[in-house]
Amino acid sequence: MREVIAAPRPGLDLRHHYGHWQSPAIRAGGLIFCSGMLPIDPETGERMHGTLTSEAHVIFANLKLLLESAGSSLDRLVQVHALIYDSIEYDVLNRVYRQYVANGPPARTVWTAQSEAGFKIQIDALAAA
Amino acid sequence: MSLQRAVIPPPLPALDAGRSFDQPTSMLVRGGDFLFVAGLTALDPKTGARVRGTTAGETDQILANLKQMLEAAGSSLDKVVKVNVLLHSMLEAPNMNEIFARYFADPPPARTVCGARLPDGVKVIIDCTALA
Repeated sequence: MREVIAAPRPGLDLRHHYGHWQSPAIRAGGLIFCSGMLPIDPETGERMHGTLTSEAHVIFANLKLLLESAGSSLDRLVQVHALIYDSIEYDVLNRVYRQYVANGPPARTVWTAQSEAGFKIQIDALAAA
Repeated sequence: MSLQRAVIPPPLPALDAGRSFDQPTSMLVRGGDFLFVAGLTALDPKTGARVRGTTAGETDQILANLKQMLEAAGSSLDKVVKVNVLLHSMLEAPNMNEIFARYFADPPPARTVCGARLPDGVKVIIDCTALA
C-alpha cells in the first residue's frame, strides 16, 4: 500500500506553491520516501536562499517536521543523498549535517548537482516509517 | 530470511538499454516489496534507438516507456513511490514537470529533481522505485 504524507505546514506544499507535481513524501513497505527537501519557509513557502549552512538548517528543520508528522524522525533516517552546488563546500556540509544525525547517522552519498532556483543544497531522504 | 530478488526483463527487447548499449545494468529489479527501475533515457520502443528531442519530448518518451515496463511487471505508475529526475539543465525543470503531470495521477509520487551532467548528450534521465 502507498500512502501520501501531507505537508505538515502550509509552506511545505511545493505542489501548491510552485506547481511541482509531487507529494511531500510517500509511505510504502515500511519506509518513508521524501521528495527532495529544499530550504523553504515552512509557513509561507518562500524560498530561503542563503549560505549552504543556513539552507541546510532550514532543510533539516523541515525534514524533522515532515518525518515527525508521519510518525518517524531524524533518528530513523536510513539513507540520505545530499546534493550540493559545489564540492568545495563538502566540509561545510559535514559541519552542519552532523548536528542532525547524532545517533548513528544514515547511509549517505554526497555529490554536486544543480538544484532549483540556485539553491546551494537539496536533501533526498529515506526513513524507516 | 532472505527477500525475493528477481531481474525482470522489459516487455519489449528495444527497451532493454542495458543490452542494446552493452551496459552492465538490468532495467527492472524486484527486491522485497519494491521494483527498482534503472535510470531511463529516451528510447524508441520499436527500434531501441535513442530519441533525441527537447526536454519535454524526452520526458514524454521515457514516461511512456516506464509505464509499459511497470505494467508488464505487474506494477503501474500509480504504484510508484519515488522518482528521481536528472536534467541537463534546471532551467528545463518546468518543461519536464508539465509532461510529468500528464502521466502520474493525483496523488503523485515523491520526487527529487536535479541538474547534472548526463552522458551522451542525453537531456533527461529518470529512475524510480515502485511497489511491486
